[in-house]
Amino acid sequence: MDKSTIVCRCEEINVDEIEGAIRMGASTFDDIKRLTRCGMGPCQSKICMNLVRELIANNLGVSISEIPPPRMRMPLKITRLGILAGKTSSSNVVSVFDEASLEAGER
Amino acid sequence: MTDQYDIVIIGCGVIGSSIAYHLSEYKQKRILVIDKGFPLSGTSGSTQAWVWVHNKVPKWYGELSMYSAELYPFLERKIGDVEYKRTGGIAPFFAQTDRDKALRLVEEQAEVGIKVEVLTRDQVLEKEPALSPKIAGATYSDMDGNVNPFRLVELYIKAAKRNEVEFSFYNPVIEMVMEKDHYKIYTKNKKDAITTERVILAGGPWSKEIGELLGLDIPIKQVRGQVIITEPLAPFLKHTIGGMRQAENGEVLIGFSKEEVGYDRRTTMDVIQETAQMAINYIPSLAKANIVRSFSGVRVIPEDGFPILGKIPDKKNAYIAAMHSGVTLSPLVGTLMAELVMEGETSICLERYSLKRFMNYA
Repeated sequence: MDKSTIVCRCEEINVDEIEGAIRMGASTFDDIKRLTRCGMGPCQSKICMNLVRELIANNLGVSISEIPPPRMRMPLKITRLGILAGKTSSSNVVSVFDEASLEAGER
Repeated sequence: MTDQYDIVIIGCGVIGSSIAYHLSEYKQKRILVIDKGFPLSGTSGSTQAWVWVHNKVPKWYGELSMYSAELYPFLERKIGDVEYKRTGGIAPFFAQTDRDKALRLVEEQAEVGIKVEVLTRDQVLEKEPALSPKIAGATYSDMDGNVNPFRLVELYIKAAKRNEVEFSFYNPVIEMVMEKDHYKIYTKNKKDAITTERVILAGGPWSKEIGELLGLDIPIKQVRGQVIITEPLAPFLKHTIGGMRQAENGEVLIGFSKEEVGYDRRTTMDVIQETAQMAINYIPSLAKANIVRSFSGVRVIPEDGFPILGKIPDKKNAYIAAMHSGVTLSPLVGTLMAELVMEGETSICLERYSLKRFMNYA
């Protein structure tokens, strides 16, 4: 693999930068993340997670199963701040009960 | 082969790595820094990293913070770009009755040369148009700012390495024995003891466990803080706001929470939701911003809130540095601790910060 190959698309981190962190002693995804920003972007490491684990495993000569995955945190998928704050502006959720109308000719 | 050092520092967070770097500037001692994990995996890697001065009280604590903040530009010349920005800091308040408290803060801080202003609503909105018009006012100082904590710790370590400091990561200390003129330190990864003339405890929230290895009761609390992060937004916040800041890449970091839950670093929905509400109270337009992630960190807070710095009483050649606001204080604490170890005295008196204040002497 070319050293300039992008591993983390969100933050544009390449193989060389990741291997640099490994040379400094990083041995987990999260170690590398904090040094390089790899995995800190919008996808939150969904794309680069296993690519990075593979690089660590190869560089340290261990099996990929020994490299822990990154720590996942809320909200897992990008979420509006207003929604987290409890702002409920949606009016698309309706009552099934209200849907039924007993008055003839209404529907 | 025996591992012999002049100085061993336990803990490689922002404080341990700063002390290591500042000691290494003397280029006289063989220094080792040991950490149970990897740098930035603990407190120093889970912070908004404000360099915050203006409402640190009493004034002598504010003064310590001020001198440290003033060292940042020079530090950057020495170790490289840590993205320090002296943005000025705004601490908003929502009730007119808070104005009296704000005015008292101005008087207190003026005595040590910290210039704090009390802003009216209009002055706040002029500085930061995105802030809510419900804000009644704010305290403000141009001394506050922020820094990139990842770059800061990394560059302390790299600069120390250039001065031949050695580092040992993923290597918890399991036993310490005080001998006549040296310490024997046993770690997980080495069969033989590391011997050192001096030892410096810089374990942050883990200082309690490290202190116990020397038979000490280090009076600190662990306090969890949770933070949420937005997607990168166009620059709209110029200042560090008490509670949030916008990073260089456009992300906004938001959060100011305190929970005593030991070493539990989970993020919890209740605090995340309250944090989101706080964000909207401060900046209504943030309701439309997307949240990418939350994180949480375990902070260290000494029992009385103030740094514990200096020699450990009754333990020869042993030192401790444990405090909240380590990012703000690291340039000065590194400088002073290095002075203390190398010269036996410090340019700013550390007497009131001694561990001694917690000990009962007969």
